[in-house]
Amino acid sequence: MSAQAHSARHVLLLDDEEAILLPTARYFRSLGCAVDMAREPEEAEALINHRRYDLAILDLRVARFGGTEGLDVLREIRRRDHDTSVIVLSAYISPEVEDQARALGADSVIRKPLPLPDLAHLAFALMGAARE
Amino acid sequence: MSERCLLDRILEPGSLSVRLQPVLELHGGAVHPHYFEALIRGPRGTSAESPSILFEYARKKSKESVVDRACVAAILDETREMPEGSVLGINVHASTLAMDAGFVEFLAARLQARGLWPSQTVVEVVEHAPPWNVGGFRAAIAALRGLGTRIALDDVGLGHSNYMMILECRPDYLKVDRHFVDGCHRDFHRRAVLASVAQLARPFGARVVAEGVEDPADLAAVRRLGINLVQGYLLAKPAPVAEVVALAGRQSTAKSRRPPLARLQAGR
Repeated sequence: MSAQAHSARHVLLLDDEEAILLPTARYFRSLGCAVDMAREPEEAEALINHRRYDLAILDLRVARFGGTEGLDVLREIRRRDHDTSVIVLSAYISPEVEDQARALGADSVIRKPLPLPDLAHLAFALMGAARE
Repeated sequence: MSERCLLDRILEPGSLSVRLQPVLELHGGAVHPHYFEALIRGPRGTSAESPSILFEYARKKSKESVVDRACVAAILDETREMPEGSVLGINVHASTLAMDAGFVEFLAARLQARGLWPSQTVVEVVEHAPPWNVGGFRAAIAALRGLGTRIALDDVGLGHSNYMMILECRPDYLKVDRHFVDGCHRDFHRRAVLASVAQLARPFGARVVAEGVEDPADLAAVRRLGINLVQGYLLAKPAPVAEVVALAGRQSTAKSRRPPLARLQAGR
């Protein structure tokens, strides 16, 4: 993947773990994406209100809150009728929650950890599909 | 994980910074600052550095009042060096006025501590979402009036800044949103809205401010409608407080005959 090819892509990351958030942001930036980071669902929702994203990678559980906050953000993205590709990530995910995420419009629901190259491969495949 | 959430960063002393953008009074060929609206920037390096994200985040967290108080503190602290007699515009959410029963008292105490007369402040009421406690809001507006601050209704024509809010606030200023100003010189309907607001303002004894003036042709159109208070990048962009203070200082000594804020614009 060349950096130039993805220069216009805007990516939103929601994760409260710096050890995941920062390397993921660095990786996607190295691929030429513009990345905004949110550590709380409210911050992610404020960012969504401000601009449209090509891709959102949402941690299902934000530890500080302990629920399924990633789904609240997903709901907000879809409420705005955004054509944003959404990946929901979680270390622990029940079949019920996975179904719920897909019903809300998640394009992919995957378990953490996922190597960054694999995550990027999935992300660009989704964004490519969304543009076709 | 990071233990400090964004709200903690926002509320940290010194994390908010202030820009000033004047509301300018046009009189013949002269331009004078009528008051300076204080505009907040959030903590540097965070998403909330952008004010629209800062306040949207505050609303999502239902922390408008806490953030509004922090903004008041930052504004009054950072504008200490402003020339005597300067009038400051301070944005406050209508929900803060409605729900935070101690806000006006807090503002009065901060103004007193700073040595600023309440009449030197314009409280700009902004609102983004109903519902709010009408009784609490009315009490706060009455308290502001009793204190002697002036009141402006922000973003008139958009969202919840509507006729009901005009009745509730009885504002001294109606700030017409840029949506109606931008392109008004070539759009009869935009001019019709502006003329209607100008007419509405008269029985209220209010003055109209045209926000977002960026085009000389729009400025001329606004003036033809009798609107002589304007704000926008055409005449003065938001500037750091120190820059405004330095400019005011230079002008008071040099008694420059140039319009006071034209040089601010020329400098950016």
